[in-house]
Amino acid sequence: MKKSIKSLLFDVSQQDQINNSANPKLLRVLLSEQTTRLDFGYVATAYYHKGGWITISPDTYLQIKGSPERYLFKEAEGIALAPEKLNFESTKDYQFFSLYFEALPMGNLVFDMIENYLGTPNDFNYYGIELRLEDGVEVVS
Amino acid sequence: MPTNKNAYQRYVVIDSMLRNKMRPYPTMQELIDACWERLHIETTLNTLEKDIKQMKMAVPDGFEAPISYDRYHRGYYYTDPDFMLGNLDLSADDIASIRESLALVQSIGAGRIDEKFSHAMQKVLATVAEVYEQPKKKQAAAYLQTMSAPPSRGFEHFELFAKACREQIAVSFVHYGYRKRKFTAVVLHPFLIKEFDNKWYLFGYSEKHGEVRHFGFDRIFSPLLLQKPFQRTDQTQTLEVLDNAYGVFPIPGAKKQRIKLGVSSLATHYFEAYPLHSSQILKKAADGSAILTFELFPTIELSRLILWHGRHVEVLSPKWFHQFTEDLKA
Repeated sequence: MKKSIKSLLFDVSQQDQINNSANPKLLRVLLSEQTTRLDFGYVATAYYHKGGWITISPDTYLQIKGSPERYLFKEAEGIALAPEKLNFESTKDYQFFSLYFEALPMGNLVFDMIENYLGTPNDFNYYGIELRLEDGVEVVS
Repeated sequence: MPTNKNAYQRYVVIDSMLRNKMRPYPTMQELIDACWERLHIETTLNTLEKDIKQMKMAVPDGFEAPISYDRYHRGYYYTDPDFMLGNLDLSADDIASIRESLALVQSIGAGRIDEKFSHAMQKVLATVAEVYEQPKKKQAAAYLQTMSAPPSRGFEHFELFAKACREQIAVSFVHYGYRKRKFTAVVLHPFLIKEFDNKWYLFGYSEKHGEVRHFGFDRIFSPLLLQKPFQRTDQTQTLEVLDNAYGVFPIPGAKKQRIKLGVSSLATHYFEAYPLHSSQILKKAADGSAILTFELFPTIELSRLILWHGRHVEVLSPKWFHQFTEDLKA
């Protein structure tokens, strides 16, 4: 009988194709039977007055390469949902946040996170996030 | 969920009834009557059934009491006749000490530690028919006041980290470095939680760094326990440094060495009263000033402490540490 795995954690922080100078930086992906969680870290910059702001569109989705199916956004922790904004107070602020989506299948896969299909550099679009089951570590519940 | 004060009192009554050899096999009604007689509280059948169930539960939730019902005698009894609740023999002094410790811990107000410790101590006191009165926050040990800092970020993970250290479980978390202004994903095989100056640190073998590292609780986000082989590490060196340092941030490359400080007569009073480390040796001059000698790993915290004292304390040797401390001013 196949062993049932509750949650698998992937460290994707070293995947250059997604994190090359990205801000927020995608750090971890947690696959479970109920949800897919993506963990990000954002570091405010001097480009914006008082560090600017961040927000995430509730229309954001995940999509496996080569598949039309979309895995929809469920909830967020640590970031405001558009049109609300999380305003920073200084250019030295930082924010850790997590986004939850419908569960991706447990398997080797490459997927994108799309906030805006015709996105600008200001949108949080991440392409080619690669998960290999052998790299996943089971999380103790 | 912590058991309330009345429950502990009822446990004590139930225990004494079950151990009473003159009137063995008490019935449920007799237990209810005994609670009324001794505690002057109304107890229901349902409550006592729950109490017995709780007492039978394994430690730490219960007392592992071997309570059984005898159909022939129609009453309750201990299957192990030698069993007694807690089996402790506490003197009046012991009880007073426990009460004082509880007051101290509550005064310090270390959040969940305070809660867990009080709960455990209530169980101990219950076994000798002493029930600890939970003082109201403002009344807690009115004769005792300690510095109690507001809750710090990351302390909410204390129990998870303690479990990870105790049960040797690897932890994944996201770390934010204040200096480098960078987020990183870390997998740590932790073995020690250390508090210094009301700041908390987790020590362990970091897979990313390939060595023992420590991380401030305040910079750790979303820790998760991992199901993977635990990487045991030799803790000797870490413990050696921590035992022989003031703080948790040794200056890289600096070995344990003799450090001499020149201290004004005013500051000497404080160092006499509050030694900085067990290795401290104080040699006083006729004018009241002193030379302090330590055998320590130099740390950032020691340098900062020296600067905090201003003109009253200066590093005499080693020279490099004098310069290091001066450079921190910049």
